[in-house]
Amino acid sequence: MQLNGSDILMECLLEQGVDTVFGYPGGAVLNIYDALYKYSDRITHILTAHEQGAAHAADGFSRATGKVGVCIATSGPGATNLVTGIATAYMDSIPVVAITGNVPVNQLGRDSFQEIDITGVTMPITKHNFIVKDVNELADTVRKAFEIAQSGRPGPVLIDIPKDVSAAVTEYEKAGASTRRPVPAPKEVRIQKALEIIASCEKPLIYFGGGVILSGAEESLARFAKEQDIPVCSSMMGLGGFDPADPLWLGMVGMHGTVAANRAAKECDALFVCGARFSDRVAGDRTGFAPNAKVIHIDVDHAEFDKNVTAAVRIGGELKTVLEAFCERSEHHTHTAWCERVASMKTSAPLPMQDADALPDPRVILQTLRTLVDDDTVIATDVGQHQMWTAQHFEVRRPRTLLTSGGLGTMGYGLGAAIGAQCGTNNKRTVLITGDGSFHMNCNELATLASYNLPITVLVFDNRVLGMVRQWQKVFYGRRFSATDPERRTDFVTLAKAYGCNGLYMQTASEIEAVLKEALSIEGPVVVDCRLSKDVNVLPMIPPGKTVDDIIEAMEEE
Amino acid sequence: MSTTKQAFSVLADNHPGVLLRMAGLFSRRGFNIDSIVACTTENPEVSRLTVVVTGDEGIFTQVIRQLFKLEEIIKVEMLALADCTASEMLLVKVGAKDAAERTELLKLVQAYGGRVLDIGKTTVTVELTGETTELDGFVLGLEGFGIREMARSGVTVLQRGDTTIHDYTI
Repeated sequence: MQLNGSDILMECLLEQGVDTVFGYPGGAVLNIYDALYKYSDRITHILTAHEQGAAHAADGFSRATGKVGVCIATSGPGATNLVTGIATAYMDSIPVVAITGNVPVNQLGRDSFQEIDITGVTMPITKHNFIVKDVNELADTVRKAFEIAQSGRPGPVLIDIPKDVSAAVTEYEKAGASTRRPVPAPKEVRIQKALEIIASCEKPLIYFGGGVILSGAEESLARFAKEQDIPVCSSMMGLGGFDPADPLWLGMVGMHGTVAANRAAKECDALFVCGARFSDRVAGDRTGFAPNAKVIHIDVDHAEFDKNVTAAVRIGGELKTVLEAFCERSEHHTHTAWCERVASMKTSAPLPMQDADALPDPRVILQTLRTLVDDDTVIATDVGQHQMWTAQHFEVRRPRTLLTSGGLGTMGYGLGAAIGAQCGTNNKRTVLITGDGSFHMNCNELATLASYNLPITVLVFDNRVLGMVRQWQKVFYGRRFSATDPERRTDFVTLAKAYGCNGLYMQTASEIEAVLKEALSIEGPVVVDCRLSKDVNVLPMIPPGKTVDDIIEAMEEE
Repeated sequence: MSTTKQAFSVLADNHPGVLLRMAGLFSRRGFNIDSIVACTTENPEVSRLTVVVTGDEGIFTQVIRQLFKLEEIIKVEMLALADCTASEMLLVKVGAKDAAERTELLKLVQAYGGRVLDIGKTTVTVELTGETTELDGFVLGLEGFGIREMARSGVTVLQRGDTTIHDYTI
């Protein structure tokens, strides 16, 4: 069948099962948008207010659904506006295909209007990227992009399509969806070594990361932990990958992780690392993190082995396969004394008793929210104090229900991600927890919430300061609050209404539950301006480069 | 871990940008490139890149693992410089203001097995192919004459014996 490049692109997206894309039109993608118009019965295009929002939406769509997210932008500024979103996806290994237009092939390299070398720009933040200069290569390039994005350790792939290529006509032949490339089986000798350690260790610990969620290995992980009686902690990216009600659960590990998890890491004699990478936010001091442990590192990406922490056993392969092999081939073990010891360190620090007319406490808001939404509700966050409070105080019970920028730490990520998640999860209500700093960055996407009447509840933890940086200034910079107290006067309720969304205030502790209930029951988008004290800290905290021995558990709030 | 030099032979899809992708990877991961050479091979769809890296064992392992993450990389072979024939080419334009100086220069060129490519009014252009240390020694010897300009190709290596890169599996 003879089709032009843009129709071929649509057909190829349909081959991959894509039904939703996020984007923003422009000169170089006019042909593609003309095709989107034609295919609008099969592919829903969500128009964001800014391309960055589209990139985060594609990322959030993928995180919530497990499918590949797709975003589209025009050449030049459209393409560069995707960059932060692509980098966010790259750092957290999220499969996204970003499609950009470019100037026609014969105008490339001439600094044409809205021309940018986006494959050059995105080289370090994509798994791979393409510029398609011949329409005959377009279909296979799109198929390959989807294959690369999903295979092995997932990640973003960019396809740059010059305008004449999206117009040129060629023969199109339908093909099936791209599949993940098979992962080679783990090496037997490595499994054997790990089994020996499983049999001999006395104080084992599992530390897992986002890899468990990306590969759908949570059931195998739970089985392994329970059959071997091994306590479990995770990075922030892993939250939702293990049942937080399970007695083996120690909580998040790392800078703002629990004392129990960090202490267990310090004391363990065997550390099973599953789809995690010892980021500096987990292992601030790489040699002091699990100093006595034999590290058994399981990952699909071999380049993670020994990158930050040297492993005793490196097992490259699918997490699920490896963990199942452990279960099949190992006797059951118990580590009662060790489990009791680490469990005894699990403390639930009592929350402050609040006067009814005091400002609402962020931790109480999150715990209350937990009781009001079901376990499958997707929660997105931005980056900062509110993000850490969410990780600490909002119990994430299911995989793919916490969307947060872990690796890149992208302020402004959350609203776009919430849009993507909401569009991917059959119109279920999605909740964004954000701070006033992060929300100021990309609140323009409220326009998108209004356009599509998306049932997204935005809780702005509004403490009127850039809280996380301010907290660091408090601890490490002698309370010199440089540029963290902007004295903004934004009224988020008025702002929400200006965009055509609903707005509510939460100003006292006594109204937390009632306002949350109302916010969750309003049809369509709603922004809650939660007025917080600027002095609440994120604790505990291990200073950068330090270990649990230096953990700060209490700090003056003033 | 001690610092040494290591050569990596890499086969990659002969696509535009593959050298850039590799060089970019090395630069952002902080791997220290001594030289990098790219060329097409007996198979026009495949490029061969030869990279010499200074580092320790840990870095060399990371180099291999990171290279394999690049989509267009087909094979990576790590070669201790002792186990391979390594060769580099030098072109150098040296000052020689009179016949006496020229004679002296030609003696040095002959001693190193170099080749005179061009003789100008006040310069001689010489080529020398050989191992890096040999070239280094030659350059040192030329300094007295005044080096006007020079270009070195970077090291290319092949394994000694009958083994080829095609015999490697990942």
